[in-house]
Amino acid sequence: MSLHSWFIALGNSSLGHVMQTSKWDFALVEMVHLLALALLGGSVLVVDLRLLGIILNGESARLIGRDLSRVLIGSLIVMILTGIALLSEEAGKCYLSPAFRWKMALLAAAVLFYFTLHRWALLRTDVSGSTLGSRAAAVISLILWLGVGVAGRAIGLL
Amino acid sequence: MPLLQHLCQFLYDSGFGTTIRESDYAYSIIESVHVITITLVTGTIAVLDLRMLGVVLRRISITHIARAVFPLTWAGFVLMFISGFLLFWAEAAKMYTNPAFRVKLILLALVGLNPLIFHTTVYRRVHEWEALHVSPWRARAAAIASLTLWSGIIIAGRAIAYF
Repeated sequence: MSLHSWFIALGNSSLGHVMQTSKWDFALVEMVHLLALALLGGSVLVVDLRLLGIILNGESARLIGRDLSRVLIGSLIVMILTGIALLSEEAGKCYLSPAFRWKMALLAAAVLFYFTLHRWALLRTDVSGSTLGSRAAAVISLILWLGVGVAGRAIGLL
Repeated sequence: MPLLQHLCQFLYDSGFGTTIRESDYAYSIIESVHVITITLVTGTIAVLDLRMLGVVLRRISITHIARAVFPLTWAGFVLMFISGFLLFWAEAAKMYTNPAFRVKLILLALVGLNPLIFHTTVYRRVHEWEALHVSPWRARAAAIASLTLWSGIIIAGRAIAYF
């Protein structure tokens, strides 16, 4: 089955049907999506500002990263689940939307970066302090997550 | 027509309000800034609230986290207020009768009251409990009130578009 037919199937599913016909069901899912966004944004920001050496400098970067990763991953899961429901409202249209494709590419990059180089930078910062590498990791992380949000907003506009 | 409604209509009809409303991109860009700054404000407050509830960062003292996040929260709040006011300006006449907007304003007033009470009561003796893994019940109550009210503000804010 091609990727496109998965999108069409999602649009034709019973979930898609509910999202397309009920205004308030869609609104409710959208609100939960936004609430999770606030939590995700806050934890990304606090961790990356620690990596940049701007806040909480006396505290372990690894500890802050590990603790807030629970909030981050939890809200990411909520966002993906509610995101699938939102997508089902007009899956066929989103498949062709450049903004949606950008959002998915940036999301994949942000998640991959978070679990690899970003994690490594958090560990390194406790050993050798804020370095050029760890600051670069923080800036890249902020740009990627912000990019996901901006591309997401653009889906409704383009 | 009540005075407040007159004022809303005046803003709505003004050249500046009309320009934002009728522009292809201005309204969407301001709206995006508004959403990003809400994330900044609510997200950083939530980190402090979750710390007081003992969910995250238990080994870091409350005052240390508060000092780290407050500049971000306040900077975000200023931008959120400005962008929000511009959005209101463009749609003022419609906002006056929008039930979700009214609820949002009430919740905003309450969410301002919460830190006012918190800082003049239990936070004054924060040095006695800042290192505790879970804060005293009055601080936890303030944290739950804050999380609930900010969630309500986001929900009501989104609901504005549906009325």
